[in-house]
Amino acid sequence: MIRTVDLTKRFGSFTAVDKLNLEIGRGEIFGFLGANGAGKTTTIRILCGLTRPTSGRAEVAGLDLARRSEQVKRSIGYMSQRFALYEDLKLRENLVFYGGLYRLGPQTSLNKAKPYLERFAMERYTDELVREIPPGYKQRLALICALTHDPPVVFLDEPTSGVDPQARREFWSVISDLAASGKTVIVSTHYMEEAEYCHRVLIMRDGISAAQGSPAELKAAHGVGSMQELFLLLASGE
Amino acid sequence: MISFSAIVSFLRKEFLQILRSREMLVMIFVFPIVELLFLGFAVSNEVRHVRLAFLDYDRSAESRELVSAFSSTDRFDIVPAEISDTPYTILQSWRAQAVVVIPAHFGRDLNRLDGPALQIVLDGVDGNTATISSAYCSGIIQSFIRKELKSRDPRLLAMLTGQTLTGGVDLRHRMWFNPDLRSSLFIIPGIVAVLVTITSMLLSAMSLVREKEIGTLEQLMVTPVSKIELLIGKLVPFWLISFVQMAISLVFAFLIFGVRPTGNIPALFLFSNVYLFTTLGLGIFISTWSSSQQQAMFFAWFCMVFMLLLGGMFIPVANMPAAIRAIAAINPMNHFMVVVRELVIKGAGFHELHNEFLILLAFGTVCLGGSVIAFRKRV
Ligand SMILES: Nc1ncnc2c1ncn2[C@@H]1O[C@H](COP(=O)(O)OP(=O)(O)OP(=O)(O)O)[C@@H](O)[C@H]1O
Ligand SMILES: [Mg+2]
Repeated sequence: MIRTVDLTKRFGSFTAVDKLNLEIGRGEIFGFLGANGAGKTTTIRILCGLTRPTSGRAEVAGLDLARRSEQVKRSIGYMSQRFALYEDLKLRENLVFYGGLYRLGPQTSLNKAKPYLERFAMERYTDELVREIPPGYKQRLALICALTHDPPVVFLDEPTSGVDPQARREFWSVISDLAASGKTVIVSTHYMEEAEYCHRVLIMRDGISAAQGSPAELKAAHGVGSMQELFLLLASGE
Repeated sequence: MISFSAIVSFLRKEFLQILRSREMLVMIFVFPIVELLFLGFAVSNEVRHVRLAFLDYDRSAESRELVSAFSSTDRFDIVPAEISDTPYTILQSWRAQAVVVIPAHFGRDLNRLDGPALQIVLDGVDGNTATISSAYCSGIIQSFIRKELKSRDPRLLAMLTGQTLTGGVDLRHRMWFNPDLRSSLFIIPGIVAVLVTITSMLLSAMSLVREKEIGTLEQLMVTPVSKIELLIGKLVPFWLISFVQMAISLVFAFLIFGVRPTGNIPALFLFSNVYLFTTLGLGIFISTWSSSQQQAMFFAWFCMVFMLLLGGMFIPVANMPAAIRAIAAINPMNHFMVVVRELVIKGAGFHELHNEFLILLAFGTVCLGGSVIAFRKRV
């Protein structure tokens, strides 16, 4: 579903992403790991068509990003690190608005969101202004907004940062279900226990790929017992 | 290609946000009325109650007669002056804005038909008031002298009015459409033009930049919504609001000041529509260059100040030096101001403003077209 060849992004003389090669298949949960500033967000933003790479190529949902980024946008869902909702709109209005941008009618948007609202037990907030909703639920809403149009590829940039363990478990159960239904999920995280749930991970360091593979393979290859140790070994560098 | 449902979705969201924001509603409905009241009354070009002092070195029946001619109008408030005063000391101490010096023997010279002289000294700090009070003074003196000399030599009358009073300037042609020199008639159409500019340029830029600030613009950019759909959805509300504001200010201009457009109102709205292309385009430009609402505010006010000063709001552009006039010609507000005044005050029809229409259309096309191209869906 996603393929990159020598993907590179420079900001002036600073290289945020350096010759990244990725191959992510359908139904895969792919984790982006790395210290602050390693280039996770930048890579995700390139793959969503928000930033143009300095060099290299990328394909998302089988479409060349450089030439067909508008079509790519129909096939992806994106939850940004700084989730973006309208605080002065109600939960329902946010859903209807984002759905509308994907050409869904108001009722369709709400119907598609309903199972998620039930699952997160947040139907009671439907008619609340987003600014009145507790932060953890805002974050759940941001996830729902990224999913209502059923995109085959979903990018979640630190979806679980700052939420309680209950919410984290809910998020990961949704992510597993998405993958099980054939969707590709790219998720970045700083929580190494979450990394264990990924089918494969990329560990980034200063924009380069420090390691790629399944958690089990990587742990075995480096002779460490946990993702935590592996991360400290690879991501923080020398 | 353009999706109607995406635009409708946008419009619904924008209106919900606007109607839910108290500041926005105040901006839209209260602001025009306050501005009308404030500018209409306070920033008035109308010259009344000008403080005027007399230095009467003649102390004759004629000189007292002249002073009393001034006291019968509310244009002037006569303030006392000491015999030790000079025009300089009076103006310097802000006691009066104008001084009429009646030299000794004024009465005698008047009676002898011997070229009586008067001197008017004006405080030029407020040039506008000075010019207008000078005109009023001349008018009062002229009619005083006419009255005094009714039965005397008309040659003297001609000489007096020609030389020492108005210098041959005929004021009447400036009062044609506004016989009382009512400045509200001049200022109010200007306020309408300014309001339309502020709403469409400032509010639209702020609204676009706010999406950037809270991160929703980035979210919008990963959706399939196109640049055009996004801009239509964001700007149409401000376009409509500008018209609502214009209607409100015209109604209140009538209720408060009795200023009623004498011209073609549909034409006024048509011109505004074309002008809005320019201001909305500027709004997009501003939002493209700014990353925070503060920055957008700064840019917008920078544009506003330039547009206002060179827009003929307070000082007619025709009174400016040629170089400034050339710059003012590229100020769209200047052209719009002309149109609004022509339509409201002079009752001009569409055909008389044909050229202005084409100019505004050219501005609109360049600004809106350019800004749409400059607006990036990718950030
Ligand atoms: N627009 C930009 N201009 C200049 N530098 C940038 C820009 N965006 C990101 N960077 C830099 O690129 C580097 C990578 O940033 P990025 O946000 O991709 O890191 P990250 O892995 O997502 O970090 P975090 O875990 O903190 O979210 C950082 O050093 C950042 O300062
Ligand atoms: Mg990041």
